[in-house]
Order: sequence, then C-alpha cells, then structure tokens
Amino acid sequence: MDTAFAERRRRDLIVACVLAAIAATVPLFVKDVYVQNIMVLTLMWGALSQSWNILSGYCGQISLGHALYFGLGAYTTALLFTKFGVLPWFGMLGGGVISALIAMALGYPCFRLRGHYFVIATIVIAEIGLLLFHNWDWAGAAMGIEIPARGDSWLKFQFPRSKLPYFYFALALACVAWFVTWWLEDSKWGYWWRAVKDNPEAAESLGVDVFNSKMGAAAVSAFLVAIGGSFYAQFVYFIDPESVMGFQFSLLMALPAVLGGIGTLWGPMLGAVILIPLTELTRSYVGGSGRGVDLIVYGGLIIAISLARPQGLIGLFSFKGLAGLFAPKRKEAVR
Amino acid sequence: MTPLLETRGVWQRFGGLIANSDVSISVGRGEIVGLIGPNGAGKSTLFNLIAGVLPPTQGSIIFDGEDVTALPAAERCQRGIGRTFQVVKSFETMTVIDNVIVGALVRTTVMRDARRKAHEVLEFCGLAPRANVLASDLVPSEKRRLEVARALATEPKLLLLDEVLTGLTPVEAKTGVELVRKVRDTGVTVLMVEHVMEIVMPLVDRAIVLDLGKVLVEGKPADVVRDPKVITAYLGDRHAVGA
Repeated sequence: MDTAFAERRRRDLIVACVLAAIAATVPLFVKDVYVQNIMVLTLMWGALSQSWNILSGYCGQISLGHALYFGLGAYTTALLFTKFGVLPWFGMLGGGVISALIAMALGYPCFRLRGHYFVIATIVIAEIGLLLFHNWDWAGAAMGIEIPARGDSWLKFQFPRSKLPYFYFALALACVAWFVTWWLEDSKWGYWWRAVKDNPEAAESLGVDVFNSKMGAAAVSAFLVAIGGSFYAQFVYFIDPESVMGFQFSLLMALPAVLGGIGTLWGPMLGAVILIPLTELTRSYVGGSGRGVDLIVYGGLIIAISLARPQGLIGLFSFKGLAGLFAPKRKEAVR
Repeated sequence: MTPLLETRGVWQRFGGLIANSDVSISVGRGEIVGLIGPNGAGKSTLFNLIAGVLPPTQGSIIFDGEDVTALPAAERCQRGIGRTFQVVKSFETMTVIDNVIVGALVRTTVMRDARRKAHEVLEFCGLAPRANVLASDLVPSEKRRLEVARALATEPKLLLLDEVLTGLTPVEAKTGVELVRKVRDTGVTVLMVEHVMEIVMPLVDRAIVLDLGKVLVEGKPADVVRDPKVITAYLGDRHAVGA
C-alpha cells in the first residue's frame, strides 16, 4: 500500500547516504585548509538550519532567537571544561539538555502567542540572554572564555593542528540532523507539526495536542542547535557573548532553510551549500574590513528567492519546478 | 438507552449578546438529526460548544454518558466527537491523504495503520483518486468531502457536520446526501447544521429548530416544516396565518 510514498522515503535515505559518503571522501582530495574550513562551516550551518527547520519549518513557529540555544550549547561546554574539567562530550550533552529544557520553559508562555508576536518574543528573549551573558562575570562577561588548547585529542575534542576531525564531526552532525528530520517526517509528530502549522484549529478538532506538539518541536530543535553550539566553541577555541549569541546567528540559522525550502527535508542543506561558501568567499575577497558585505549578499539572495521562488530552491529539483521557472508568471492569489 | 449526546440547559453569552439560552437537546444513537434555524439563531455557537471550541457560560454537555463540559476539543475528539468546519479548514500544504492521516493518528501511532485507515476512508468518501493531490488544489466540493473524510478517520461516534451541503451544485449536494446516509449506515450518529431545507428535510430523522438562541420546535421533519412557529421564524408573521 502506498508504495510511491515508501519508495520516495527510501530514495531520500539512499541519496543521503550516497551524498554523505561522497562528502566524507572530499578531504582526501582537498588539502587546502581554507577550503576545509569553509566545508566545516557549511556542514555546521546546514545542520543548524536543519534543526531550526524542525520548529520553524515543520511546526511553523518561526523563531529568530535560536542563537540563544547555540550560545547556551557553546557556553555550557566551555564553562564545564574550563571551570570543572568536564570533557566537552559531556558538556555537549549537558548543553543540549539545558537548551531543550529552557526551550520548553520559554515555550510555555510563548506558544500562546501567534504569528508576528511569537517571532518578536523569540528575538527579545535571545537578546535578554545575550545581555545576561554580557554581565555574568563568572562566565567571562564581555571578555568571553578561552578554551585552553592542549594538543590534538579526541577525548578533549580539540585539534589545533588539523581541520579534519572537525570536518568529520560536522558531517556526522549534519547527518544526524538530517536523519532525525527524515525519521520524524513520517511519524505522528511530523504529521502533527505540519497540521499545527497549516491550521491549528482544525488540528485541535482532529485530536492533535497543539500545545505539546509545539513543545516537542522546540525541545528537539533546541537540543540539536545546542550540540552545534558546543561544536562551534570547540572549533574556534574562544567564545564571547557576541560571537555565539548575537542576533546574526539566529538569522544565519533561518536563511539556508528559507533559501533552500522551508519545511522541507532537503531545503536547509541545499541552502547551506549555496549560501555559506558564497558568503565566506565574499568575505575573503572583500577583505577583513568588509564585515557586513556577506550580509548584503544574504539579503540580496533572499529578496531574489522570495520574488522568484517563494517555496525555496528545492522546488527546482523536479520537472514541474524547472518548467515553472520558465513558465509565464502567474499572479499569486491574495492570501 | 441513554442518548449519545445531551446538552443540559446550555447558555452562551458573548458580552451582552446571548447566543444560546437554556438549550437542552438530545441526540440518540444512530440518528441523523438536523439543526436548523434562520441566520443568527445560534446553531454554530451550539456546534462549537458541543465540539469543545469554547466552554459554555452555563450548563453541561453529556456525551456517551459522561460529562465532557470541561474537556478541550482535542480530548473530545478522542472520546468520539468528530466535526467539520463551515469554512473549510484543510491543511493546505499537505496532500489529501496526509490530511486524513492526521485524523487517523488519534487512534493509532503506527504510521502503516494510519495510512491504511486513511486509504479506506478516502475510498469510502470517493476521494481515493485525489489521494496524492495537495489539499490546496482541490475544488470546493472536494474540500468539503475532505473535511468529512478527515473527521471520519478519527472514528467518531458522533459526527458534527457544519453546513457541508451548503453552496454545492444540485448534483454535488445529492452525492453529499448519499455520503451522509452511508456514514450513518456504518453506525455513526450524525448531527448536522444546514440551511437548505429541501435538502436536509428528506435526509434527517429528526429536526431541531433554533431561533434567537432557543429551541423553537423539535420533531419529525414533515411536522416541523408545517409548524406555524417555524414559518414565522423564517418568513415572518404574515405567512404563518394560513397554517
């Protein structure tokens, strides 16, 4: 029964495995550290955007405050390691759990808000988090925390001499985020989330626990984003409030998904593969003082996409999508 | 045997407006009951109270022998109250079958079972050929049927139909009527709000007429349409004189 559906899901899984295998071999040919760095960032942002997509894409609760969870993951790992000598692996898990719990605590009041009001609340809460860390002396305040480098070690998850271990971890993270999405897509949660996004009132009438589905999505999403934050702290060795909790991180999580296709399985990764190398290259060509030029590129891309392809680039990956691009423009119906 | 659904002295006030006052109705198992009345009679409000969209200001709602007055809509669905919406509320970005699967997931968490159930229901409602179409691509009459299919997938004991036959062409309305009969024949009790008298009257076993938030008359459809009070409510005093 419904073999077309099962087949599509199997095909998705196979394609993902093949792509992951190909990605895993790339560093064997690409030895350039600068390019490797871009690849790590691309995979990391892909994974983050994929996680963001669970709450904001599938469940439709647009969050522009996910930098909070990113920062919490980074800070939990860094603080536990520098203050108590707890290995980053446990810090990572701890950061994930803390973020998931905080996401639910914040969701409790915020999920009663709808639309723009919810978005504004997420922005404000993340800014409050940023200010708190700015003034929290024990956590380094505005000075930030430096993670002491003590040589390559998987145990301490730090590799000052090579990008490769980071690359493979980022790849694993992207795979996990993708697989979690793939798995949840065909589960009660996945269906509930999409129903909640499309029409909460109808969902309720069909027995969907609207509030708890939002809470579930928020917890999964925050957990995965925090793992990404932990990874980032280990990757850059130094964190301060602006560099892990700034508003731009919330945007950077949303943009790949929006570009590639919000609420789709492949959209976030596709968006990240296009967006991240592009901005990294722009940044390096324009030079160190060109801070902000990458954001102009982002902005331009988003405007172009929302005009030409509001459903994201992923729609091009079908015959209908390609044909649609060249077909005469149809006036969009009024919402 | 106890009735499947009972409202006991239900009131609903919106500020100064009284939408339902002291409404007590009952719906027996296996019946098709029509809830009719002129615009603003309080039909939709009563529907929302039964479905659990809002709690009544006063009074209680008894379903299947249990007081469900305090339960939210989702839980009433689990207890066996299914509903459609007057203004269709499809999940527009999902396919037809996915829409129905959402309903089926109330009874099972196994996706394979939910999908099988959804297929059965679509077959039953005549929507099977459209299973993989996006809900937003359906024509209005199909969307109405999708509403019914989604609600049926929750395996309701009581199905609340809110104007599913309104605004359809005569042919579509006829298929709609047949569908409602078929639903009843599977053992589901039906309570339907409807405007179009000539369609509902032959279909229902019993009609309840609401007017100005109160139960005006209830009884066999043939008697109800001849009742002077009903004619007055719909057409005004002058027309009731001859009755």
